[in-house]
Amino acid sequence: MLRCFGEFTGSLAALLGFPLRTVFPPTNESSALPNRGLCKVLRTSYDSIMTRLPNRSRTHAPVPLRDRRPGRVRRLRRHLAASVLPAFLAPALLTSANALAAAAPAPSVSAAARLLDQATFGPTVDSIAHVQQVGLERYLNEQFALPVSTVPETPLPPFPSYCTSANACNDLAWWKNILTGKDQLRQRTAFALSHLFVVSFNSAAGADFPDYQNVLARDAFTNYLTLMKDVTLTSAMGSYLNMGNSGRPVGAAIANENFAREMMQLFTLGPNRLNLNGTLRLDRDRQPVPTFTEAQVKAFALAYTGWTYPSPLAATQNTLNKSDRSHRGPMVAINSEHDPSAKALLNGTVLPAGQSAQQDLAGALLSIFNDDNIAPFVSRSLIQHLVTSNPSPAYIARVATVFLHNAAGVRGDMKSILTAILLDPEARAGDTNTRSQGGHLREPLLWLANVYRGLDAYPVSPGLSAYVTLSIKASHLNEAPFHAPSVFDFYSPNYLAPGTSQFGPEFMLEDGAGVVQRASYADLITNNQILPGLRVDLSNTSTWGTLAANPASLVDALAVVFMHGQMPADMRATIISAVGAVKSPAQRARFAVFLIVTSPQYLIVH
Amino acid sequence: MAATRRSFMKFASLAAAGSLAGLDPFGSLSAFAQSGASDYKALVCIFLFGGNDGNNLIIPTDAAGFANYKHLRGPLAVSQASVLPLAGQSSLGLSGAMPGTQALFNKRRLAVLANVGTLTQPLTRAQFLANQEAAPHNLFSHADQQRIWQTEAPVGATDTGWAGRTADLLSASSAGSLPMVVTTAGSEIFTAGRSTFGMSVPPNGAGVTGGACNEGINCTIRLNAAQQLLTFSTGASLVQADQTITSNAFRYATELSSAVKDAPALHTDFPSGNPLAAQLEQIAQIIQVRSTLGAGRQIFFASLGSFDTHSNQVATQTWLLGQLDAALLAFDSATTELGVNSKVTSFTMSDFGRALTPNTVYGSDHAWGSHHLIMGGAVKGGRLYGTLPTLALAGPDDAGTDGRWIPTTSTTQYAATLASWFGVPPPELASVFPLLPNFNSANLGFV
Repeated sequence: MLRCFGEFTGSLAALLGFPLRTVFPPTNESSALPNRGLCKVLRTSYDSIMTRLPNRSRTHAPVPLRDRRPGRVRRLRRHLAASVLPAFLAPALLTSANALAAAAPAPSVSAAARLLDQATFGPTVDSIAHVQQVGLERYLNEQFALPVSTVPETPLPPFPSYCTSANACNDLAWWKNILTGKDQLRQRTAFALSHLFVVSFNSAAGADFPDYQNVLARDAFTNYLTLMKDVTLTSAMGSYLNMGNSGRPVGAAIANENFAREMMQLFTLGPNRLNLNGTLRLDRDRQPVPTFTEAQVKAFALAYTGWTYPSPLAATQNTLNKSDRSHRGPMVAINSEHDPSAKALLNGTVLPAGQSAQQDLAGALLSIFNDDNIAPFVSRSLIQHLVTSNPSPAYIARVATVFLHNAAGVRGDMKSILTAILLDPEARAGDTNTRSQGGHLREPLLWLANVYRGLDAYPVSPGLSAYVTLSIKASHLNEAPFHAPSVFDFYSPNYLAPGTSQFGPEFMLEDGAGVVQRASYADLITNNQILPGLRVDLSNTSTWGTLAANPASLVDALAVVFMHGQMPADMRATIISAVGAVKSPAQRARFAVFLIVTSPQYLIVH
Repeated sequence: MAATRRSFMKFASLAAAGSLAGLDPFGSLSAFAQSGASDYKALVCIFLFGGNDGNNLIIPTDAAGFANYKHLRGPLAVSQASVLPLAGQSSLGLSGAMPGTQALFNKRRLAVLANVGTLTQPLTRAQFLANQEAAPHNLFSHADQQRIWQTEAPVGATDTGWAGRTADLLSASSAGSLPMVVTTAGSEIFTAGRSTFGMSVPPNGAGVTGGACNEGINCTIRLNAAQQLLTFSTGASLVQADQTITSNAFRYATELSSAVKDAPALHTDFPSGNPLAAQLEQIAQIIQVRSTLGAGRQIFFASLGSFDTHSNQVATQTWLLGQLDAALLAFDSATTELGVNSKVTSFTMSDFGRALTPNTVYGSDHAWGSHHLIMGGAVKGGRLYGTLPTLALAGPDDAGTDGRWIPTTSTTQYAATLASWFGVPPPELASVFPLLPNFNSANLGFV
């Protein structure tokens, strides 16, 4: 039963091609103890990984690359040995380790890596090991408990030397958080929510971005109704869809319908009536049934009147604030600018005449939240962003049911919804069945993040300057954070992947120009020629370069990080052959990474 | 002379540079390309995303008409002095932001089509008020209405666009070595056919660097392996779809590279800082090498966004129409330079028009019918086609009480007229435009 030590020694040597002691320098603990002791060392190293995330520590302790490479390589080798190796060469190892701890069976490396590809901005050697250790559900609960990585307020001009505009400065903090933040599930959920509650800072004021992103991240694990309320009152949404300063209409004018319409059509209910399983409800003529009427849009528009931006001095406001406004905190009500009439909303809800702006807003949002279309519409959207473009009706129905009432009977509980999405049998089917259908195209921002995280990229200096121009690079791949072309986002949830009958929303961004550009960026990233401040180590003496002595070892290790240890055999053989055809370990590492991250097999997050 | 080489040339020339895309792995130009095409026609769709307000594109100029317009539009009214007169039109003029368009109209190379919009059948106000189901599904919804404009079919009825279906019909004889439909504005359903797909190229000067390879003499090894990976089946249709897109991208880049190798730079200067102009410049460059590509028919899709002017409309729309104007004028010059002005017909589409009534933040909300522009040497220009709506709230053309015009001409008639000129034979029109038989006239006569 206690095969821990023997398994480890033999397979490590096979994988890494150098003596064990160079990986684990003898210490009192590991050299003195037999099998059980080494198993304990492995678990200890998992814990130590979690307490010092590599990217984070690098950010705060800038050391010139050449000065610290040996230590870095040693640490990465240790991480690799502790995580990748046992799982794909000796599955029995973790099983026995966990049997000792009387825990549930550890998830396979594939299960761990797949969950991380769905729930974070990309698996890393460290995070795969951690999920294998704690299990999928506990990992989610750990993530729910982590504090939010926020983005700082937009600096006032003159801007720091490395960013020339409010938007350019904002994006850097976002990149830093998604690449290095511990709260990966929160950041990934906020990103998915940003595809629902779309604000594009092409037209919204850059200074409104930090508050908006922070609201999405802060509320990601609360309740969907909380999200609706908080998003509605952000200055960003207020200005983007014109609810801010939408006053009581007088004379010929009408109340602004922009927010009223899109709140229902895009953020909560969708345009058509849905069954619980997300399929269209049809009328007697087999036609879709609209979710709302133009008259209801007009009524909601009136219900939303009377809100304005906070003033910079937090003074009491009596009028709409049309000039000097704060970019912090929620919008405030000006009841003299609120339309006092009664409003007929959804499903027979009527807001009585004479209510305040606050009362009408609460009533309007509740009317939407209580409409059952919200459950399948939002569930499908989140599933599409996190797991698969083509969820089965049964999968949507299971998640939508949790949306309507979780175990405690609560409607709209985000933690329950996310857990239901990520742990659903359909989401997990690919853990063991590599030929199961499903998955979605890795959109450009997820591609960049995944590649950088998987290669354990590191900034050469602390602060935000390392991430300069990442958004511009991303835009050449047809996506940039929070810069959708319109409130309809970068892509439509119902876009069909060309030549198929399957939904492939992200394929709207997958055009010839972007494909060629992405291949170019894969070349530049692997050669450290794309960003001066953010580098990857694929040198001869790096972890990957060291592994490259044996092309199969290199490819198998990268396949764990990038393809859940599930690289198809024909692909593996081709890449091993190409890698073996060049001599330099660094070039071998670059080739292997390039060929994986440009391949359609990797680009579809299976 | 424009000094810069073009970005698609950059995009394509990556091919020649020994890059991933570059080593001509997919064979040389096709038989069509080598045979060349004797006659040529191109359609250029310019989609104004967001819903352009036609009420401030074509404006009444007679005293009574302008007074009525000014009264109903309130803060959205433009000044009477800014409206540009149009030759032969005594009571209407053009947005002051569009002097180039005015000149083209007056030279009879540009026409206006009034109050066109999505319809499944002709509809009066009385009919609409009695039965709103007779109108297209989800009126006033951006996504649905864009989709109808692009597909010319009821929402949900098809997964193909009318350009794609036209290409299905004509590609075998006229596409040449590359797809007949080319988009400079990303993937849209407009370009998708049943058996054909559009090709995407970046706008001119998009900052695209192309397919770098920093691996020296070993680039070939990497390239060959990358291409081999595109041939393996995983059984997953999304993977296969991406393999097709990827291998096509490299093939197209290779063919474009060959085609543009000896092409001289255009003399026409396109305005900088104008996203539509950058796209039309790219399109002009592809038209330039049509013979090398063997293309007898091409359909292009370009776009300009931000027309969803729910607030501060006058300033925003004036700026956008100015960009449209400058881009149209440059494209007219470029097609003249290339000797194809009468072979290239450009036209606008947009989600919908906007309500005549202003909202409280100096913007306008979603509406329905709107006015559109058609440009080119083949256009019977200098004229207004269709019927202008009566500018009256709850009037004969209003779908309600805010001045949201019920279209008097359908997008299907508009598109079918263009497709007929392009070469879709009359017996095939109904297969491309299934709603066309619902309308009296299949050809509006503007081209």
